[in-house]
Amino acid sequence: MRLLWPLVFFAFAFAQTPTGEPPPDLPPEVFRIASELRCPVCQGESAAESNAGVSQEMRRQIAEMLRQGKSAEEIKRYFVERYGEWILYAPPKRGINWLLWLAPLIGLLVFGFGFWRYLAEAGRREAELELSDEELKALERRLEGE
Amino acid sequence: MRRWVYFSLVPVLGALFWWGMQRDPGELKSVLVGKPAPDFELSLLPPYRAEWGERFRLSEHRGKPVVLNFWASWCYPACYEEAPILEAGWRRFRDRVLFFGVNTQDREADALEFIAQFNLTFPHGYDPRGKVGIDYGMYGVPETFFIDAEGRVRYRHAGAITAAELEKRIREVLP
Amino acid sequence: MSPGVAGNLALVLGFVLTGTGLLLSVLAWWAKDARYVEAAKRAAVVSFLASLLAFAALEWALLTDDFSIAYTAENHSTKSPTWVKFATLWAALEGSILLWATLQALYTLLAARRLRDVWMAPAVLGTLFGVQLFFFGVLLFVTNPFTPVPNPPTEGPGPNPLLQNHWMMAVHPVLMYLGFVGISVPFAYAVAAMLARRYQSWVAETRWWTLVAFGFLTAGIFAGGWWSYEVLGWGGYWAWDPVENASFIPWLLLAGFLHTAMVQERRGMFKSWNFTYITLAFAATVFGTFLTRSGVIQSVHAFADGPVGPVFLGFLLLVLLVGFGLLSRVSAEVRDLGGISLLSREGLLLGGSLVFATMAFVVVLGTLFPLIVEAVRGDEVSVGAPFFDTVFAPLGAALLLLMGAAPLLPWGRVDPFAARALSFMLSALALFTALSLFLGAGFGVALGVGLFAYNLVAVVAQGARGVGAWRRKGEGYLAALLRYLARARRPVGAQIVHFGVALAALAIVFSQAYRVDAQKTLEIGERAVVAGLPLTLRRLEARDEGFRFAVVAEVEVSGAGRMYPRLHYYPTMNSPLAAPHVRYGIYHDDYLILQAFDTEEGRWATLRMVRTPMVLWLWVAGGIILFGVFYIVSPGFARAARGSEVTA
Repeated sequence: MRLLWPLVFFAFAFAQTPTGEPPPDLPPEVFRIASELRCPVCQGESAAESNAGVSQEMRRQIAEMLRQGKSAEEIKRYFVERYGEWILYAPPKRGINWLLWLAPLIGLLVFGFGFWRYLAEAGRREAELELSDEELKALERRLEGE
Repeated sequence: MRRWVYFSLVPVLGALFWWGMQRDPGELKSVLVGKPAPDFELSLLPPYRAEWGERFRLSEHRGKPVVLNFWASWCYPACYEEAPILEAGWRRFRDRVLFFGVNTQDREADALEFIAQFNLTFPHGYDPRGKVGIDYGMYGVPETFFIDAEGRVRYRHAGAITAAELEKRIREVLP
Repeated sequence: MSPGVAGNLALVLGFVLTGTGLLLSVLAWWAKDARYVEAAKRAAVVSFLASLLAFAALEWALLTDDFSIAYTAENHSTKSPTWVKFATLWAALEGSILLWATLQALYTLLAARRLRDVWMAPAVLGTLFGVQLFFFGVLLFVTNPFTPVPNPPTEGPGPNPLLQNHWMMAVHPVLMYLGFVGISVPFAYAVAAMLARRYQSWVAETRWWTLVAFGFLTAGIFAGGWWSYEVLGWGGYWAWDPVENASFIPWLLLAGFLHTAMVQERRGMFKSWNFTYITLAFAATVFGTFLTRSGVIQSVHAFADGPVGPVFLGFLLLVLLVGFGLLSRVSAEVRDLGGISLLSREGLLLGGSLVFATMAFVVVLGTLFPLIVEAVRGDEVSVGAPFFDTVFAPLGAALLLLMGAAPLLPWGRVDPFAARALSFMLSALALFTALSLFLGAGFGVALGVGLFAYNLVAVVAQGARGVGAWRRKGEGYLAALLRYLARARRPVGAQIVHFGVALAALAIVFSQAYRVDAQKTLEIGERAVVAGLPLTLRRLEARDEGFRFAVVAEVEVSGAGRMYPRLHYYPTMNSPLAAPHVRYGIYHDDYLILQAFDTEEGRWATLRMVRTPMVLWLWVAGGIILFGVFYIVSPGFARAARGSEVTA
């Protein structure tokens, strides 16, 4: 789907790890953590998806920190200290970000309220149009009389 | 009433997007601005070892503002555009400001070729993995950090830098 | 005559003819004279021919390696295989806008052929010509692919390598644009209906068109996901990046529209709501292009693609302005009436529509949120897969619940059959969720399994009800089934689509929950277990394939043959593109990526193994959904070609 990205950003292009040594072995946990972090040089790719040099280095550092016994939270904090919260693909739940996290609820409430108002009004209009039994009989008599 | 909510959406969206399109991609805020520049130690590329020693440690160069430039030989054309500008800036300010280049995720041979091509005389360290870049929260090469004499990051420029921008930011970090 | 001259001529011709068509439509509207409508219909034919000519001119330049125009000079290479040369037309901005304009002209032509309502025809044509004029204008004045190049090069860089890496990329954009452009027809009908004050009938008249657009959009999204999976080399099919979101927003809005449109058709309600839906769906197609071309959202490393961004922004705002202007008239004039009980088909349809609208809202807000935060606070935030996955899980579950029940309930009430079926469905939901939990699944997966069972029972129950109706008329089982399938195209097709959606949801739940990803470097001849699979690296081989250079690893999977992941080097890219070897399986896929290799001596290679369950079923589900849509719209194609009234 990413055909539409114009690939003209040579300024920020990336290369395969140029060193002669092979990339490190990575367990699944590394990719799980990396998928929550943004690849800094890419457009819309996480550090788990991208093969940019920075992402490879990030995965290597994640693997190293895991070996040192650091938790996923600590690892994410390490990157936040360097890149800011921009590096997290799920913004932390606080401040203005609540607007985002509560978006599904806001949407359901706002649209639901709209529906409810509409239905209440439409129902009222229908009720106004309905005739009582006496009115109906009176009308029938008039029709028969004519 | 509801109608005005709809209609006001149009100028609001328009203004937001218009503003979004006017942003200068070079002006990227760094979380490091105002904070001490992360220290690092890198081995220097061979041409600079005679003058600067085998290794370069940033904290050993306090007391002078530092222009820290991240680059790579595969970063074309941006790094190629700014290399002569940086060299000219170094020659002009070298007694008051230290310039240091971090060659990032590059092959040493390619880096040396680049240095020879532009005849770069300020020192360059070699960081094949790009670890220093991550410590500085680098988005992508080229990026230039301006560090004042106390060792605090004052500004970060992303993308190729212009001569005017370079001079302006250097004046800001000069004591 | 050269392609450049022919192309420019065709564009000027197309622009003028489209403008003429627009003028004739306006005249027809003011003068209330059907002769102008006939003339406008002819303008639709000739402007389509002009767009075809421009299309052909660009193909001519591409296939004959003519580098004298900007588009080929910037995006073409003589070394590309022929299919890549052909598809290069929509590989970059200018060409894809030409494709868009051509398809728009095609839809205008098709829509014009079947217009019967003299009151609405001028406005329908006028709207379509207006949209078409915009695209011709952009082509002619902003992004002209035929701009002459003073000193033509003899070789160009070729199209984006990501395109050349998989044949799907030749198909996916066309499907996507067929969907995007398709929305313009119901939109034009809606605008015309509002102008002519015929608020009720347009939803029924455009149902066929809406479904066609929906089908193409669905196909485009699935094709894009499949392409992502096979090309991007990380074993995923959907990344929630802004480009993907841009294609998902119109799909969600269209899906929501299809459901409330049924309520309008049947009960005459939600007229202004439906108009809003289709306007926003159309605006979303423009919004998507704006988003991906203006650099407004790709945050840090985006640079605007010239003046295209502002032009599309202007068009987007115009569409919204026209839409809201008409909307305020509708909501002032239309006074719907009627009561809706929540436990009835229309009640649940509304519930579904509510969830679709909310999903669209969440995607829009999530996509724009970084921009909003930066504008308000100056901070930078990112919104990506971890956020969307989290919030879409409950919304998706709600949708799956409603989806099973809504078609079973009769209009206006619950009948005993539906009540019985519902109790079966809910039992299946409870039973299978509990069973999955007992077997050790997490809550999300367990609920996914339960909801799949729930929907499976729903589909069976609905079939039983349909067949039962024919049985009561004295048919045998088989005859009753065949009659039900043949006669009830809409409910049967909808059932097929719903089953496909339930299967897709199950596949997504499993593939998200149980994906395993591991990376390991192996020496030639070395054997190791990677992500649970014993792999042996046999050899590394380099191949010169003309337009690219390939490095292929031969990897033996113990007891299961060999796999050949590759790295492709394109001359225009300084980093290689991975071409993974994907082995589809009923339970899970083995997806092997060549991550890196020893460039000096070829002694080692780094492999990444991704094992994801049920991905195959996601593509099957896509096929089922498309088949369901096709089942509903297929009788209409012949009629659309003949130009007679089409209904679905």
